Amino acid sequence: MAKPKVAVYWSAACGGCDVKVLDTNEKILDIAAAVDLLFWPIALDFKYKDVEEMADREIDLCIINGGIRNSEQEHIVKLLRRKSKVVAALGACAISGGIPALANLYDAQSILDYVYHKTTSIDNFQGPLPQPEYDAPEGRLTIPKFYDSVFALDQMIDVQYYIPGCPPPPSLIVKALTAFLQGTLPPPPATVAGEGSVCDECPRERNREAKVKKWKRIAQFTPPADTKKCLLDEGFFCLGPATQAGCEALCIKANIPCEGCMGKPQGVTDRGSKMLSYIASLTDASTEEEAKKILNDVVDQAGLLYRFDLPKSLIGGRRKE
Amino acid sequence: MSFEPKLLGFLCNWCAYAGADLAGVSRMKYPPNLRIIRIMCTGRLDPQMVLKAFAEGADGVFIGG
Repeated sequence: MAKPKVAVYWSAACGGCDVKVLDTNEKILDIAAAVDLLFWPIALDFKYKDVEEMADREIDLCIINGGIRNSEQEHIVKLLRRKSKVVAALGACAISGGIPALANLYDAQSILDYVYHKTTSIDNFQGPLPQPEYDAPEGRLTIPKFYDSVFALDQMIDVQYYIPGCPPPPSLIVKALTAFLQGTLPPPPATVAGEGSVCDECPRERNREAKVKKWKRIAQFTPPADTKKCLLDEGFFCLGPATQAGCEALCIKANIPCEGCMGKPQGVTDRGSKMLSYIASLTDASTEEEAKKILNDVVDQAGLLYRFDLPKSLIGGRRKE
Repeated sequence: MSFEPKLLGFLCNWCAYAGADLAGVSRMKYPPNLRIIRIMCTGRLDPQMVLKAFAEGADGVFIGG
């Protein structure tokens, strides 16, 4: 029997997801032996032309990490969609925009203006901005168009499987690939992750009576390492209760509050507001003013609540006409 | 044409919804801009619902209870 054909692509991503595919350690050799890798820009020397020359639906599994930030990425994921039977989104960026999508709180013009004119490390004395097209004496030069917003992968193309995390734990990647090779993947669309929320996997103990007077940031306070108390009870902004299980509470075991990279749990539409209601019920305030004061002290609320899923949330980002 | 806001009301079964019911029984009139959803307690109201109402076009959300 012919080996299944697999392609891997990265769009608006940092490369961490690709590294995690390699981080499956010795299993990567089994994976490489079991499949035919047709395209993987970060690891193998194939060109876009090779993909264009493939027959439609020739790729059996196409794994895409990263959201869609510019016209090149949109073109390639749509091309890969046409050439693939199954598309899997790997990592928070592909599933819900991820950290690059926090830029949806701004628009393209203000981002370019800041990056090319206002950052202290830049000396752009003539002040030009990158142009998608430029007529040089030698001919027309083009670069991809920078979009106003970052899109999650399934806002551009149909996606059958989701492997969450930032980056996804190698155990989940192995689980998904093994299921693919054995043909035991659940009917799509499906997420390959754990059951319940991160709290179900967390070893710390909750105190149901706990109330919080001040929300602390990990940058300013370090949680005491020896305690087994719940980080939320201690006043750290931990997104565990509103995050899909599957990571085995990796960060919390390392004394770092959960940032929510595994995405929203099943049945939740808007994770940030779900978390907000959790935070509100833990906050110890008897009057509205007191509650406002405590919650206004939280720095970067949007970044905390919607760090990985702004384009897929109900608020979506800055309104663009 | 003047602006007619669409309002969505989440009313508690035991107080505000009973009040709205009583307004009907007493034949009191109020503008038709408010669409009411009965919930069993405002404690059941999730911020997701409020955001969803705005996302789907409500101009205002009224929470009674």
